[in-house]
Amino acid sequence: MAAQILAVIIFVMMFLLIISEKIERHIVTLLCGLVTLVLVFGLCMHSGRAVLDTLNLRGIFKLNFWYAPGSSEEASVGINWATIIFIAGMMVMVEGMARAGFFRWLCITIAKAVRYKTIPIFITFMLMSAVLAMFIDSITVILFLAAVTVELGQMLRFDPRPMILSEIFCANLGGSATMCGDPPNIIVGTSLGYSFADFITHTGVIAGLSLIFVVVYFFLCFRKKLSVSDGAAADPASFPTPASAIKDRRSFAVSTGIFLIAIALLVTHAMTGLTVAFIGLFIAAITLAAAGRGALKLLKLVDYKTLLFFIGLFVVVGGLEQTGILETVADLIGRICGGNMYLMVAIIVWVSGFASAFVDNIPFAATMIPIIRSLASAPGINLDVLAWSLSMGTDVGGSATPIGASANVVGTSVAAREGHPIGWGQYCKYMFPATLIVMLISMLFIWFQYV
Amino acid sequence: MNQQLIISIGREFGSGGHEVAEILAARYGMPLYDNNLLHEIATHKNVNVKNLTKYDERPRNMLFSRSVHGYSNSPEENLAKIQFDYLRRKADDGESFVIVGRCAEEILAEYGCMVSVFILGDLPKKLERVSKKYGVTPAEARGMLLLNDKKRKVYHNYYCKGKWGDSRNYELSINSSRIGVEKTAELIAAYISEKYGRNV
Repeated sequence: MAAQILAVIIFVMMFLLIISEKIERHIVTLLCGLVTLVLVFGLCMHSGRAVLDTLNLRGIFKLNFWYAPGSSEEASVGINWATIIFIAGMMVMVEGMARAGFFRWLCITIAKAVRYKTIPIFITFMLMSAVLAMFIDSITVILFLAAVTVELGQMLRFDPRPMILSEIFCANLGGSATMCGDPPNIIVGTSLGYSFADFITHTGVIAGLSLIFVVVYFFLCFRKKLSVSDGAAADPASFPTPASAIKDRRSFAVSTGIFLIAIALLVTHAMTGLTVAFIGLFIAAITLAAAGRGALKLLKLVDYKTLLFFIGLFVVVGGLEQTGILETVADLIGRICGGNMYLMVAIIVWVSGFASAFVDNIPFAATMIPIIRSLASAPGINLDVLAWSLSMGTDVGGSATPIGASANVVGTSVAAREGHPIGWGQYCKYMFPATLIVMLISMLFIWFQYV
Repeated sequence: MNQQLIISIGREFGSGGHEVAEILAARYGMPLYDNNLLHEIATHKNVNVKNLTKYDERPRNMLFSRSVHGYSNSPEENLAKIQFDYLRRKADDGESFVIVGRCAEEILAEYGCMVSVFILGDLPKKLERVSKKYGVTPAEARGMLLLNDKKRKVYHNYYCKGKWGDSRNYELSINSSRIGVEKTAELIAAYISEKYGRNV
């Protein structure tokens, strides 16, 4: 009992400290993780096994951590090293692409292809945002897309804010389509043993369907604001060319090639048996090898703080898991639902969505995984259905408020730094209804397709 | 004026700090930046200044804000950073100016050409000044005073390590109620002459 109370206190403290931003979030999770190991597992439980299970280091040295032919990789508990290695690998690849000018080149190429017309840019940038976010973290996608949008807004004399809001939403939606698109999906996939194909054929379909509604919704919301000055005041000579975005042709070609290899490996990983941990490591290795002397510089640019944040977070959630707290929560949800899958799906989608609108969706998803695993142990409850509900709820719910997801914070910040601040009122006026629409679509789709 | 000079004026609401800044700007023939800095930024970035003014000199709302990798969703925080960067750029370009508020005493602390001053005042004098300037009753003036000083303090203390109005953060802290606005400006000018000689 003492261990359970302590685990909950540490978890709540961690959340409050993350929200307060007084201390950097990776330090918060690492310290809370350390306290969990010492006080919960050591002092209260006297369990060395709980420590070993949560640190989960043995799994890395097993073959099926890297190569699991014929099946998805093994479901894991404690620190999800596959998630951490995969994210680290993708970070290295994305840094390489950014340095070569890939993202800016892509944005300008598309803007040029639609002849720098505002409404076509608006539509294509939404689609590009969703597609890129399927494979690359949404922060990077929005960082470049928002910057180019502001630049185009200055040239074509349109307010970039509506376009940036639409891009943010589509990035979050695109991230929900694949296993590697959004951190909660990577955690869900690696923890529960799903493949890229599993995600694309389930959450991918929901995201694709939702994207159609979202594009129409944002078009109806913003068409008047954006069509006011449809390129009329712009001087064509001032338009940037795609070639101007490429900093180094060789690096550009190499990074584009590596990106395509990464997509190919991810799409086929269930067939090849290569796990996401292997793919992450492999992609990082070839990016660093291609960078040559710049490899060290590239490594220094990797966001180690986020990786450390994940490690600490998994330990704290491991504390809740090992002490049986999450099973208790699962029992409670199970009793409320009484075996009714419709109700269970609705609760998971809407509670995940609401929580993700206000708190970081990564710790939320990590906490919910043991809960849905426990729920699915009851007869008649399908784990897959709960997993897709959790993914859609956490990924999409984050779009509702300016603080719900990292892409929202980065996108609104880029806009504000260029003199286009976006307050809560303006943000929620457009994004909250869009979030409700997609969550409703997700719930209804899961109900009618899977329950 | 032969050498660069930056005068940073922090002030209590109703202390006459802004008037002191105007006198000093006129005396040295330097531009005065206060909320007009936003107009300059808006012109430079080709945006409507109305979009910016409501977020000026306001602290970040802790409950409704989040930071990710140095990016913040808070319009107030982003606007403050735009202004800080703009001021630093002006200082880097060798421009001389008087700046009112905007945490300048700390933001520009690394520039040796800066003189930082905090102007305070006695409550009765401040109430009298505010009542006269804004045509309000003393009770309303007191409310305005409390509100504005609290806003400035929270804004300042969020972005700076040093506390707002703490004399240790400023070269001079002067109570303008005791010697009046004109004499306060003269006192600062005398200090500047003493510090930098007759070249300024």
